[in-house]
Amino acid sequence: MVDVKLENIVKTFGETVALKGIDLHIKAGELFTLLGPSGCGKSTTLRIIAGLDFPDSGTIYFGDEEVTYLPSSKRGAVLVFQNYALWPHMTVFDNVAYGLKLRKLPKEEIKKKVEWALELVKLQGFEDRYPTQLSGGQQQRVAIARALVVEPKVLLLDEPLSNLDAKLRLEMRSEIRRIQRELGITVLYVTHDQEEAMAISDRIAVMNVGTVEQVGTPKEIYESPRTEFVASFMGKTNVIPAKVVERNGDRVSVEFEGIRLDGLYYTEKSDDVVVVIRPERIRLHPVENAVSFTGTVDLVEYYGFFIEVVGLFGETRIISRTISDRDVAGLRPTQPVTFYVERDDIIVLPKQQL
Amino acid sequence: MKVSKWSERLFGTPIFDPVVTTSFLFPLLYLIAFLIIPVLTMLAIAFVYNGHFSLYWFKNILTSDYYLSFRPTGEFYRLVTMPSGEQIYYVQGVDFGVILNSIIVSLSVMILTTILGTVFAFVMARYDFPGKNIVRILLFVPLLVTPFVNVFIVKKMFLPNGLINWLFYDILHVFPHRIVIDGLVGVIVAQTMTYYPIVYLNAYASFINIDPTLEEQAENLGSGSFHLFRTVTFPLALPGIAAGATLVGIFSLEDLAAPIVFQGNPLARKLMSFQIYSAFTSGFNVGSPQLAALAIIMLTIAILMFLGIRKYVSMRQYAMLSKGGRWKPRVAKPKGWQAALIYLVVLPMLLISIFPQIGVVLLAFSESWSGTWPEGFTTQHIMSIVTQPDIERVIMNSVMYSTAAIIVILLLSLTASYASSRFKKSQLGPVLDSLSTIPIAVPGIVIAMGYFFFFAKVFPDTPLDPTNLLGFNPAMVLVLAYSIRRLPFAARSISAGIQQVHVSLEEAALNLGAGRWKALTGILMPLILLNLLGGAMLSFVYCMSETSVGITLGSINPDYYPITARMVELMTSAVGSANLAAALGVFLMVVQIIAIVLANLITKQRYSFIGLT
Repeated sequence: MVDVKLENIVKTFGETVALKGIDLHIKAGELFTLLGPSGCGKSTTLRIIAGLDFPDSGTIYFGDEEVTYLPSSKRGAVLVFQNYALWPHMTVFDNVAYGLKLRKLPKEEIKKKVEWALELVKLQGFEDRYPTQLSGGQQQRVAIARALVVEPKVLLLDEPLSNLDAKLRLEMRSEIRRIQRELGITVLYVTHDQEEAMAISDRIAVMNVGTVEQVGTPKEIYESPRTEFVASFMGKTNVIPAKVVERNGDRVSVEFEGIRLDGLYYTEKSDDVVVVIRPERIRLHPVENAVSFTGTVDLVEYYGFFIEVVGLFGETRIISRTISDRDVAGLRPTQPVTFYVERDDIIVLPKQQL
Repeated sequence: MKVSKWSERLFGTPIFDPVVTTSFLFPLLYLIAFLIIPVLTMLAIAFVYNGHFSLYWFKNILTSDYYLSFRPTGEFYRLVTMPSGEQIYYVQGVDFGVILNSIIVSLSVMILTTILGTVFAFVMARYDFPGKNIVRILLFVPLLVTPFVNVFIVKKMFLPNGLINWLFYDILHVFPHRIVIDGLVGVIVAQTMTYYPIVYLNAYASFINIDPTLEEQAENLGSGSFHLFRTVTFPLALPGIAAGATLVGIFSLEDLAAPIVFQGNPLARKLMSFQIYSAFTSGFNVGSPQLAALAIIMLTIAILMFLGIRKYVSMRQYAMLSKGGRWKPRVAKPKGWQAALIYLVVLPMLLISIFPQIGVVLLAFSESWSGTWPEGFTTQHIMSIVTQPDIERVIMNSVMYSTAAIIVILLLSLTASYASSRFKKSQLGPVLDSLSTIPIAVPGIVIAMGYFFFFAKVFPDTPLDPTNLLGFNPAMVLVLAYSIRRLPFAARSISAGIQQVHVSLEEAALNLGAGRWKALTGILMPLILLNLLGGAMLSFVYCMSETSVGITLGSINPDYYPITARMVELMTSAVGSANLAAALGVFLMVVQIIAIVLANLITKQRYSFIGLT
């Protein structure tokens, strides 16, 4: 179990720059997630840590040891592939034992370790099956057992749940969390699903077009996004372009669609900003220390466990979310509606060139 | 451990690895040594006159009416009066000189095979009719290669009392006179019947691979059946059909069997392949620079055809547009007139086209064959395979050469396909790719020619020197030639296998601590084992019946004859020997049937389709 440090990792594929100087520090024993849309460079980062690709420049450390150009086979950063990569011509036992056989362990010990690993993933008794005789979830477990059995310094998981159905996904998510806690190993997890990332991670790095936008705990990332991208990527949210019209220390007034919001926290230089408001933080009834703005109802959408009211303010649509039927009683499209938001729930960020 | 920039550039992996390096360098050096250098040796001879660089030999060829003439001589056909007083049409074609003759024959064969192959393929791909399964099996018959003998039967079919005249003159009275074909027309007809299955297979695969919704949409918009074919189906299948037709064009260009069988007519000899071949057999002209120049002209034409089709096909990769996945191909019951066409035109054509193979069997089991049908049943010729020592010897020779060759072929195609499909960033990759496909476009007779010069120059007075005559042992030369000629086909089927194995399966092994060698032998090779076996078997069949090099370099020393060298000797010598050649043809057919059936059986378990070529 080691910590993993990436310093200024750059990787290009032909003309395209996949990673533009990544710095990351993954602490020993934590479950760290790389989160981002497809093509953001998260899988490339994972493959570089696994030693399956090599960076153009930059350095990777496992603990104090530099491993940047160490071949994959000598690195001990074991990857669980997105497609599981189980060898169809080998039984479950042989798949799991593969790494141990390479390490020339005695037969008895191999058997014991494979048994241990299969028990860990709850697949005792499946030793003689072939991968094609297993369900997707079982294949996933074999892949994890195969990686864990060699006691990796770091376990790398590449979109491990993407090939499973919704129910199994939840089950495997908590399985992975359980195993990680039980063994206390360092896990680097890659996903594009923000909900999955928040549920499972100790910390998350949000990536976008080859850069890390923000690193933090799920709560930090969700509640205090530091860039427009992070704000908009973490769940459905309102990102409203606005202008700073007045500054007063670390408080500013911003304006959009003729609506002025006063006393918001903002310290950056740029006057072109976006106002980020989570839909569930918008109230349809007055609250204390809140700003309010009035527009017309565009849509009311019923989702079951919550209801969305989309307000139209000039050209701008703002979504609010409520769990209360009473809030929306009598709201009809084109009727006026007032949104209330506590000042602390409004985040002002510089506009990003996306 | 440090990365190396040149390893990344050359081999596509920044960490130098002996397995990867060998995978690139072994096939690359092999091809350079045994394909490029022999061709260069030939160039060195063809471009030198009086010790200087010169175009003399090329000028000599291109200005001579014998080689190139734009005013054709001879009559395409004549009405000949037979001794019996009966008049017959004698069709032989006209003479444009050796080079143009070859091109005209090749183009005619391309056009005829395209028509025949496309019609058969369309019927098989789109119609469901009683007897279709029998037709499907029959369509495999013309694929069976019986060097020389099948052409011999074609020639027989078009004699005054042959099957064709018996059928269309005596019985159906369609012909105004009996028709005899010979010369260039004979070559064209024989090659068409031999090669149309290649177009058929390509066209069939193309038709089957068309997304049915594309046709359904056209129909839905009001397209009628012929309009649909002309505007949607045919254009979509065209790249595949054209690729097959080009392959046929190249095969026709290099074919020796038809010109050799028809060589009684002087016109059939006026083809590039035969000119080079006859220099080998007559012996006195082999080393001539003019011949080297002719070989180079032939090679250039073949390569231009090959590059042309590659460019054309790569421009039209429509197939990629459609979403993947399996679909149910469109198969319909033929309407009345369509059924009539199928049963009255297409099927009889098929039966005629498989007659050469049937004829080979009849010939092998008959005492004589002078009329329409063979006479007298005998197993004497077939028995000679096991009783006659010289026949046994050529079979053993061929088995040995072919076995050695498939080992080399497997090594070459495995390394080359592994290198180019797994290390795509390598700058050597494209070079290796082109080099390993180019043998398709190198006529066998040109390889024979190149080897002749190469081994005579580099290994003079050794058993590898063909000018050493009875001191010459062709084993190594033949194995080299077989392996180079077969490589593109074997590499393609093995590549297909490798592409079905996701690269993550090997990466997982590397990641768990295996080296490249372990990942290659422990993971990839077991997973493509069936492709390797299938490739080996089809390559074996090919080597057993290889003609061009076998009957030139292989026929220098009788002790080391491969089967085909003995067959050509039998075909061109005394009466009655053709039966023995036919027996060898039957033997080859049996070997092919066993190999194809085995290859299908073992590969069917996991792969639905394996390319025959």
